[in-house]
Amino acid sequence: MKKQPMLPFLLAILLIVFAAGCSKEFSSSSGYKGTGNPDDSFNLRIDFTPVFDTVKLSFDSTYTNFWEEPFSVSAFKFYVCKFDLINTDSGTVYHINPDKYFLIDAADSTTWAVKLASKPFKYNRISFLIGVDSIRNVSGAQTGALDPLKGMFWTWNSGYIMAKLEGSSPVSSLAGNKFEYHIGGFAGQENVLRKPTILFPFGQFSQIVADKKSIISVNANVAAWFYNPHQIKIKENPSCTTPGLMAKDISENYSKMFTVTKIVNN
Amino acid sequence: MRKKLFTIAVVVLLSATTMQVNSCKKNDAVQQSNSLTFTVPPGFPEPKYNFGNNPLTKDGFELGRKLFYDGRLSKDGNFPCSSCHQQFAAFVTFDHDFSHGFNNQFTTRNAPGLFNLAWHTAFQWDGGVNNLEVQPLAPITAPNEMAEDINNVINKLKADNIYPGMFKSAFGTDEITSQKMLKALTQFMLMLVSADSKYDKVKKGQAVFTLAEQKGYTIFQAKCASCHAEPLFTDLSYRNNGLTLHPDLKDYGRMRITNDNADSIKFKVPSLRNVELTFSYMHDGRFYTIDQVLNHYSTGIVQSSTLDPSLKNGIPLNIEERSNIKAFLKTLTDSTFINDKRFAQPQ
Repeated sequence: MKKQPMLPFLLAILLIVFAAGCSKEFSSSSGYKGTGNPDDSFNLRIDFTPVFDTVKLSFDSTYTNFWEEPFSVSAFKFYVCKFDLINTDSGTVYHINPDKYFLIDAADSTTWAVKLASKPFKYNRISFLIGVDSIRNVSGAQTGALDPLKGMFWTWNSGYIMAKLEGSSPVSSLAGNKFEYHIGGFAGQENVLRKPTILFPFGQFSQIVADKKSIISVNANVAAWFYNPHQIKIKENPSCTTPGLMAKDISENYSKMFTVTKIVNN
Repeated sequence: MRKKLFTIAVVVLLSATTMQVNSCKKNDAVQQSNSLTFTVPPGFPEPKYNFGNNPLTKDGFELGRKLFYDGRLSKDGNFPCSSCHQQFAAFVTFDHDFSHGFNNQFTTRNAPGLFNLAWHTAFQWDGGVNNLEVQPLAPITAPNEMAEDINNVINKLKADNIYPGMFKSAFGTDEITSQKMLKALTQFMLMLVSADSKYDKVKKGQAVFTLAEQKGYTIFQAKCASCHAEPLFTDLSYRNNGLTLHPDLKDYGRMRITNDNADSIKFKVPSLRNVELTFSYMHDGRFYTIDQVLNHYSTGIVQSSTLDPSLKNGIPLNIEERSNIKAFLKTLTDSTFINDKRFAQPQ
C-alpha cells in the first residue's frame, strides 16, 4: 500500500487548532453570546411574524379557531435552530450555524429577526428545527436563548418547552378560562422535535451573493395549532403541559404553521 | 522534498499551538492557581459528571457554597438550600418527613441527602432531573419550596456588593447569569463526597469491624446489596419496594416522568451512607426508625404488579440478624463529612 503523505493531515490539524481557538471563549455555544461573530456579520435574515391566519397577531384581539371557539392569546413563543438552506434543483443543502438557538417571542419583536451567515448561493427551500435539539436538553445549565430564566425550561422533568401558546377562551373549563399548551419532550416516543421544510413563493429564490443580504419573511400562524392533522379543541383540551401523545399531536399541527411570504435580495 | 515540507509543517503547527496556548494563558493562569482537585475515593468508580464542562476552582466552589447558604435564592429570604439540606444530617432535613417551604407550606417528598452526587446521572426521587447543574432550579422555583423566580434571584445577586466580585474570581467575568450561578452551586455539591465512614476505614485497613458489624455486613451483602450496591450503597435504579400508595399524595414516582405504567410507584434507590442520620426514611418519610424500615422489608411488603421481584417474599430477618444489620449500617456514618468545615456555612 502506498504511504499516504502526512502534509495534508498536518495542515488539517493546523486548521483545527486555529479554528478551535481558545476553547474557553467558545464554550458557551448556545444563543447569541460566545460565538465570536459580531452580530452584523449576517448575510441572511429570517423575519418571523406571529400571525393569526394572515393578520399580525395581537394580544388584544379575539380570534376564532377552526372549531368556532373564540380565544385570545397572551403568550406565543417557540425555539428555532439548525437552519438549512436548500436548492432542490442542484440538490444543495447548506447547514447554517448548527449550534445557535433562537427563541421567537411574540411579545418581544426584537426576537423576531434571526440573523445568520450562509454560503452564497441560490436557494428555493428553507428548513429548521422547531425546538431545542435533544443534546441541549441533557447538557446542564445553558445560557443565551436557552437560559432557564426565559421560562421555557421544565424544572421537574428536565427539558425545554419547545413551543408555548397560552391564552383564554370562554369555552375553557380551567380557572380564569385559561388555556395553555406547553409543548416539550425530546426523548424516544415523546419526541416533539419537528423539522419542516418550507417552500418559497412560486418563482422566488433566496439569492445570496457577496456583500449582499437576503431577507426571508416567514409567518408563524397560531391558527395552525388547532387542526391539521389533529383536532385540538380548547373545550376538550384546555391544557397540555407534559410530554406525551397530545404534545406530539400539537407539535405535528404547529410544524405546519410556517409560510414564507416574501423574499428580498439586496 | 517531502521530508522538508513535513518539517516545516511541524514547526508551523507547533508555533501555532504555542500561539493558541498563549492566547488562553491569562485564563489558564487564573484557572491553575485556583483549580480544585476532585479526588475519587479508593474503590469508587469513575464519576459520571462531566467535569470538562465546569472545571472546578476554589473560587467557584466558594461561590457555590455562599449561594447554597444564601436565603436570597428564595422568595422571602427564609429558605436557602441549606434550610432543607443540613450538614449535620448529611444534608437531609433532620428528623422531618417533609420539609418546610415558602408561606408555611410543606414539600411532598422527603429531602434526600446530598453527597457523592458526582456519581449520579439523574436526580429527584423520580429521576426527573437529568443533570446536576439544573437540579437547583426545581427547589428554587417550586411554589411550596423556595418559591422564587430565576430572574429575581439573578437581579438580587447583581445588586449585591460581594457577588459580582466572586463571580469574577470564579469565572473571569463579573457578568452574573443563571448558568454561572448553577455551575457554581454544582461545584459545591460535587465536592460533597462522603467516603470516610468506619466502613471506608475498614475497607482501607485502618479499622476493624466489631463482631456484630461484621455479621451485619455479611447479611447486608446477602440480602440488601443487590439494590444498595457498594460503594455508593445504591445502584441508582428505580424500584417499587412494596410501599402502599400514599392516600393523599398519590405519588406514582417514576411513572410521572416516563408515562410508563411499568414504572408505577417506583422511586430511586437511596444511598444508605449516613443512614443513621438521614431519618425519616422512604420518599415520603413514612418511617422514622431503621427498625420500622426492617419491619417493612421483613413483613410489610405490599404485593403489586410493579413490585421489585427481589422483594416478592420480603426479606426475612430474625432478631439477631436485625441487630447485626443495624450495627453494620451505623458504620456508614461519616463524621468527617458532617463536620467538614469546607462544607459549613461560610462565616
